[in-house]
Amino acid sequence: MTENINAVSDEQILPAPPKGMKERDIRKVSKKQTVLKVLAQIGLYVFLTVIAIAVLFPFYWMLISSLKTLNEYNATVPTLWPQEFLWANYVTAFTGELELGQLFLNTVIVGVVSTILSLVVTVLSAYAFARLEFKGKNALFAALLATMMIPGELFTITNYVTVSAFGWLHTYTVLIVPFLVSVFYIYLLRQNFLQIPNELYLAAKVDGTSDLKYLWRVMIPLSAPTLVSITILKMMGAWNSYIWPRLVANDTMHRLVTVGLRGAAFVDEATGMTNFPAQMAAVVIVTIPLLLVFIFFRKYIMRGVSRSGIKG
Amino acid sequence: MDKKKNQWKAWLYLLPAIVLLLVFTVWPIFNTIRMSLLKDYDDLAAIGGATFEFGFANFAKVISYRGFLTCLGNTVLLTVITVPISTMLALLIAVALNSIKWLSKIFQTIFFLPYVTNSIAIGMVFMAMFSMIGGGPTTEPVSIGIINTIIEACGGTRINWVNAGSDYWSNMFVLIIYIVWNALPFKILVLLGGLQGVNKQYYDAAKVDGASRLRTFWRVTVPLLSPMIAYVVITGFIGGFKEYSSIVGIFGESMGPVGNPGSLNTMVGFIYDAITNNPGRASAAALILFAIIFAVTMVNLYVSKKRVHY
Amino acid sequence: MKKKFGALFLAGIMACAAAACFVGCDDNSGPGNTSGPVEWKELSKSGGFTMPEGGFDINSPVEIKFYHTMGKALREQFEAQLAEFNQIFPNIKVEHEQVGGYDDVRDQIYKEIVGNNQPDIAYCYPDHVALYNRAKAVQPINDFLPGGTYANETITLADGSEYNLGMTAEERDMFIEGYYEEGRKFDDGSLMYTLPFAKSTEVLFYNKTFFEENDLEVPTTWDEMEEVCAKIKALDSECIPLGYDSEANWFITMCEQYGSAYTQPTGQKYLFDNETNRGFIEKFKGWYDKGYVTTQEIYGKYTSNLFTATTGQRCYMCIGSSAGAKNQQAPKTDDEFAFEVGITSIPQVDPAKPKVISQGPSVCIFKSDDPQKVLASWLLVKYLTTNVEFQAAFSAESGYVPALTIENMRKNQAYADMLDEADGFGNITALSALRCLEQADAYYTSPAFVGSSKARDEVGLLIQAVFTGSKTIDQAFKDAIEECEYFGG
Repeated sequence: MTENINAVSDEQILPAPPKGMKERDIRKVSKKQTVLKVLAQIGLYVFLTVIAIAVLFPFYWMLISSLKTLNEYNATVPTLWPQEFLWANYVTAFTGELELGQLFLNTVIVGVVSTILSLVVTVLSAYAFARLEFKGKNALFAALLATMMIPGELFTITNYVTVSAFGWLHTYTVLIVPFLVSVFYIYLLRQNFLQIPNELYLAAKVDGTSDLKYLWRVMIPLSAPTLVSITILKMMGAWNSYIWPRLVANDTMHRLVTVGLRGAAFVDEATGMTNFPAQMAAVVIVTIPLLLVFIFFRKYIMRGVSRSGIKG
Repeated sequence: MDKKKNQWKAWLYLLPAIVLLLVFTVWPIFNTIRMSLLKDYDDLAAIGGATFEFGFANFAKVISYRGFLTCLGNTVLLTVITVPISTMLALLIAVALNSIKWLSKIFQTIFFLPYVTNSIAIGMVFMAMFSMIGGGPTTEPVSIGIINTIIEACGGTRINWVNAGSDYWSNMFVLIIYIVWNALPFKILVLLGGLQGVNKQYYDAAKVDGASRLRTFWRVTVPLLSPMIAYVVITGFIGGFKEYSSIVGIFGESMGPVGNPGSLNTMVGFIYDAITNNPGRASAAALILFAIIFAVTMVNLYVSKKRVHY
Repeated sequence: MKKKFGALFLAGIMACAAAACFVGCDDNSGPGNTSGPVEWKELSKSGGFTMPEGGFDINSPVEIKFYHTMGKALREQFEAQLAEFNQIFPNIKVEHEQVGGYDDVRDQIYKEIVGNNQPDIAYCYPDHVALYNRAKAVQPINDFLPGGTYANETITLADGSEYNLGMTAEERDMFIEGYYEEGRKFDDGSLMYTLPFAKSTEVLFYNKTFFEENDLEVPTTWDEMEEVCAKIKALDSECIPLGYDSEANWFITMCEQYGSAYTQPTGQKYLFDNETNRGFIEKFKGWYDKGYVTTQEIYGKYTSNLFTATTGQRCYMCIGSSAGAKNQQAPKTDDEFAFEVGITSIPQVDPAKPKVISQGPSVCIFKSDDPQKVLASWLLVKYLTTNVEFQAAFSAESGYVPALTIENMRKNQAYADMLDEADGFGNITALSALRCLEQADAYYTSPAFVGSSKARDEVGLLIQAVFTGSKTIDQAFKDAIEECEYFGG
């Protein structure tokens, strides 16, 4: 599987180097330059740390909120550290009305199936747009891009009528099929495919390799990082989708995580006040799998990159 | 002959996407156009047996709305400011992440966190950071928010960021931070993915060349990443023109600070206002927005055609 | 190709702009004339329902769908009652679902009506019914009410006994009148669409301990309120004497108390820009400037937080939902409450003609091609709303007030005991329910129509804008009317 890729030499993969770069001799690295380099590295770490704190803060807030009592959460002056740790919020999250197990199961089923199908559709379309020549290609691509410019809310009612006419309400199908095509992903992948030099394709043609085989053996491995990004985004979509699932499949057997979390499970019936700490606890529980998925896939991105023979 | 064969093959590859798009995207668009051309169209009333006058009345009504220019102005302003800022910042972060070794995995994970942080939590944080509680004509606020606490600790005077009586640019400032913060992880992900696909030889060559870091950044990194940058800019513009939820997140559905509703409203905000009572007008507004986004995207594509290096 | 697209759209935009020039401005009639509240017609006998041959069929299974917002504990109460209902009608199967909050129920049903999938019964607020009725989707229940076409129909049950299909006059009289009347505050008032399910209203919570210590009188009119506020402010300059939760309720209730125009369901709908209303807004703006009052939105936090505070900035009176009583309970240290809470009716313009708002869910029935479904839905709705046991259990669990009068509710021993134990410490929910039941004559509902919820939003925003000084009174009224007319249709 990997041999095919290794067989492709670096020269073939690389686009022409940018202009303005001429071959010159290596200059001696002076001490001064080493100092500068260290300083630059420190600067980088400082920069990243500052941004990291800004990025982490809301996440931190989510964690501490999940441990506060409702009274402390509602306090006028917010506390940066819980006065007392109320682990019972997590118990509430698990034992309350939210059927977390079922929510997870539904979400995983929808997430996995829609990701796989979506990848197939996206790869095929991106390939057609990047490699195949056909009449009206550019116009079709422009039209595709145009479709993502209309605010989605307007589609909701028409699509609702369509799926109810198909008899798809309260099924997994209705959560998966209508959003399999993402113009965003097709566009992203097409850009990636375009970077792979045409020579490879022509060479494969001469060898008599079929399009599908070429796609599977060369294009897909070379675009692994992008495909992984798409996978993550799509999974995330299943995790975060709300408006549509709430409308078409808001029943215990098919309800997705976010619909459950945002639903009325934590809202006091009469006053409309939300038990935010318990809700946050549920959110934290739900977030953990996502984080794990990312940590796992991050390694995969690295492997994907090294596999394409672009090691340093 | 080969070309002809390619023709049907291409369409075969596109078939699943096209079928799905026809049913779930193209048909709704046609329906939107139909609704926009029927005066004050209302799908419930249509079921109840009402009929509607054909014409451009909805478009006229949208344009003559007293808040139309406010909505349009806010939309454009937010997009034009946040897209460059978030793209530059994401690029810097991605490059920085790519040029460190120690802790790089942990940093990557951290920068991904906003993606998994629940939006309710984010809203809460921004309230705690910027919101003042309890100020009144005769009373001092009891809580001035984390940011103002820091400002006062540094000897500055506190600013009314988002509360009753706050001014437009303070509101905008908070919104911009919020939107940029939200947009970062996706952009970092895409740009970092792109960077890791770049052959290190270019950098070695640049080093050999004795080019400065800045020069390398502009002359090597940016051109090599140009397809990814084009992607995040174009999608950023499209997303920016559809800005809505971030304003609701901070200011609520009145789309403005207390006492000044609608002052931060956007085009999509207008569409939501109209959608239950007047789907016809909402459709017309959506098509106007579509025309604007379409024109901007065409310009973007044109520019990127000239600038992007494949 | 792209060029063509661009040109096409440019042309499109230009066409729109041109159309705008031609159509320009249309209806722009003068400022609101000050007519009084709406006159309602007599309830009509028929709601247009046709009884199927043979009446309600107790032998064929019929399935009905009920959307609500009940949490787990309430669902259990409901299911227990449902089991008893099924003893009478074993053939009626009720599928019920908690869709989310009230707005979620509305949004869901709106789309389901378009897709022709609507449920048979739903929790509703009056403006929801107005929305559904644009599609004429809600079934009027006139036929089954006293004096209606089928009021005297009976059903022979499996055990041979007769069961009233319609509502008897005695059953109707069980309801608190203001709550019952809400069901017909649509169009001209001749059709009844809803029955009250569980209710709430606004009440005045006050710090009884503080009032007694300082010899303060609990205000019953707005003038007294102003005096009390001035006295409290003199005692504690740091405080804001009164917190008001909902600006919109305040505005609408003032219109009702003054008898000034607010909205009407037909013709020129938005009438709230008039001298009386401008007058009370100006007065309350003065209160705000003197630091007498604040609202939840302006303060930035639930006013109940301010009320239950024992140190620092606080308020000594709070006007909020009766259903939220437990949030107004004083904090407790070592089994000792920090203060006693008093609950009373909100201040009035004329204490002889009290007016308090009616809130909380009602239930409506949707039209169906299958008359058996409509009948089954009606039987369930009648059973639940007139059942003292259920109303008592539901109220005790939720904090809502029953829609039935206090005399009827006292027939339930557990509920009577609960009311008797009401106090301003631990049994504050009971105290709140008791006060609501006592003011049974005061409930009003403003008319519901397409755009009535917009008017509600706008008058709330108007108060915010005037209080915070970001708009003049004149500007705020003009803007609110303009927004209503643009979006409310």
